[in-house]
Amino acid sequence: MTSEQVDLTAEQLRHLAEDFLAREAKLLDERRYDQWLEMIDDDVLYEVPIRAAKFDYDEETSAGAFRIRDDRYLLALRVKRLATGQAWAEVAPSRTLRVVGSVIVERGELPDVINVESAVLLYRQRGHDELGDIIPVRRTDRLRITDTGLKLFRRHAVLATAILHTPNLGVFL
Amino acid sequence: MHRYQSPSPDDAAYIDAVVDRVEASLDESLLPVDIFNDDRIFAAEMQRIFTKNWVFMGHESEIPNKGDFVMRRIGVDRVILVRDSTGTIRVLNNHCRHRGTEICHEDSGNTSVFKCPYHGWAYKNDGDWAGAPLMKDAYGEKLDARDWGLLRAPKVETLFGFVFASLSEDVPPLREALGDAVWAFEAIFNLHEDGVEVLGPPEVFTVKADWKNGAENFAGDAYHVGTTHYSNTLDGFIPGLNNVAVAAHGYDFGNGNSFIGHSIHELIAPPFTLWGYPEEVRSQFQFDRLDDVQREMIENRPPTIGTIFPNLSYLRFPQPYKENEWPIPFTNIRVWQPVAPGVMELWTWEFEYTCAPQEYKDKAYLAGQYGFGSGGVFEQDDTVVWEGIAKAGKSSWAREAGMRLHLRQKRNGPDPEWQGPGRYYESILGEYLQEEFYRRWVKEMRSHKTTQPAEIRAAGIAAGGAETVGTTASTETALAAIAETEKKQGALA
Ligand code: FES
Ligand SMILES: [Fe+2]
Repeated sequence: MTSEQVDLTAEQLRHLAEDFLAREAKLLDERRYDQWLEMIDDDVLYEVPIRAAKFDYDEETSAGAFRIRDDRYLLALRVKRLATGQAWAEVAPSRTLRVVGSVIVERGELPDVINVESAVLLYRQRGHDELGDIIPVRRTDRLRITDTGLKLFRRHAVLATAILHTPNLGVFL
Repeated sequence: MHRYQSPSPDDAAYIDAVVDRVEASLDESLLPVDIFNDDRIFAAEMQRIFTKNWVFMGHESEIPNKGDFVMRRIGVDRVILVRDSTGTIRVLNNHCRHRGTEICHEDSGNTSVFKCPYHGWAYKNDGDWAGAPLMKDAYGEKLDARDWGLLRAPKVETLFGFVFASLSEDVPPLREALGDAVWAFEAIFNLHEDGVEVLGPPEVFTVKADWKNGAENFAGDAYHVGTTHYSNTLDGFIPGLNNVAVAAHGYDFGNGNSFIGHSIHELIAPPFTLWGYPEEVRSQFQFDRLDDVQREMIENRPPTIGTIFPNLSYLRFPQPYKENEWPIPFTNIRVWQPVAPGVMELWTWEFEYTCAPQEYKDKAYLAGQYGFGSGGVFEQDDTVVWEGIAKAGKSSWAREAGMRLHLRQKRNGPDPEWQGPGRYYESILGEYLQEEFYRRWVKEMRSHKTTQPAEIRAAGIAAGGAETVGTTASTETALAAIAETEKKQGALA
């Protein structure tokens, strides 16, 4: 598919990417994690940097400082943990709604890669909380075009909050 | 959400009654639940504990250069932890002495001058007043640098680079205050002359639980691991979490400072002595820096978890960071930062021995963050179990019924053979360390230590001649900054 991909128009790439993000959000909202993992590349790196209040945007996150930095094994382990029914932060699981917007799609440096940016408002009502939390996040993703569809192989999810106001990141961003 | 009020005389009677009830309950190994979510108790804690004792601020390695600062909290206040232009570490109140505006709004940085965004008063990075716009017209002459400087924590001291501050003069020197716990600090942080360093900025998250629950948990609760964290065994990550309490021991260093120790080599495998540090790190350890008992302790049942009263905790445990890799120890430092009754911020940092190879530091950082912090597969579940306690603390039913919590595990008493300071318990079961934490709480809630008004303190310092007030390089910088601003304003007008 790689050779064909070069021929895809910007319009087609955008369609592919937006469709991917919308379907991913739905799978996560419906907690269909095994299907979600099928959308994740084996070489995935999923990062949530630590952010601070700083004047310069570039200094808000510092290299090497992460709340989460998972490879495929660690990410899949989170899914497995949730399935135990004893990951108490998510028992009962949060009810979530991910609204994905402001999508920017660009050709990646490799022919089979699309760079995609998106802004997400993740609404999360935990187990038996009355009020929900909103987790605002801007994601910079790289999607790989493969024979079995797009795969997420890089996600850099920058929270809009320096102090996190949901008590844990028991949900995927 | 950030509420603080100083207790009124009526409140004082209420608080005294609650504290008496807590003490009487502890004598029966019980604990009233309402101390975990109570406006008046919270206010009293801020006043009687957090402005009157040594409180952990951060680590020297976070502010290595002159002028480096990071924002921290003492009680509900935001404070500036700064290395001033002479290299001295200061803890400054973040409010301007002119009208009280907050001075600093960034989480970290480097500056020789803090300038107030309201009318432009400027302060040197040691807190001294340095100048103000239109100084001649507005004030005639310079104000006294210390009288009108930022409030400054009267005591700041470090232990292995860990910085503590006290807002009260009325505390013993840090080492004396920490007492026997210093011996544990040595065993944990003194294995190399270069000590430990922070691996990144702290991560902060808000948890709807009382600060004491986190502190109590790390003071001695190895019992919860097999239940709260069992998902991490069920998913195949770490085997046998249901048995870790059995291999856990207790170190009581008095005054509510205590540690849990684990025989990790029995839990995982014989090579896992010394927290399981791999050869590349342990080969650098300078064991002659420790005494025989410390060496034997870290070999066979090193302190893995602990609390220094009131709200500093420590965690060092081996954990895998990648598939098919052996667990490696990480060092996590945390603060249970009170925010409001039943609400805290959790601040966590990862540390490592400075001498460890960078590659190891990177791995240890990953291991620590995967388990702890807001995304941590252990910590996530702690945040939830503690939330319930804050709800119980506010429950009208629980209050009406006088609900008291159970601290009645059977106790076998300390090991009479123990050679080190404090007391050593072979079994962590018994909840004696948690009781000690609350005994210290009772003591501090009863204490009547004073915080001197800033003016009196400033006068005292000036009279003692400890401070020189004059035009130093950074005062000049401050004045130059003001002149610059005025020039710009003039240009605009
Ligand atoms: S309040 Fe700071 S200068 Fe006026
Ligand atoms: Fe825990």
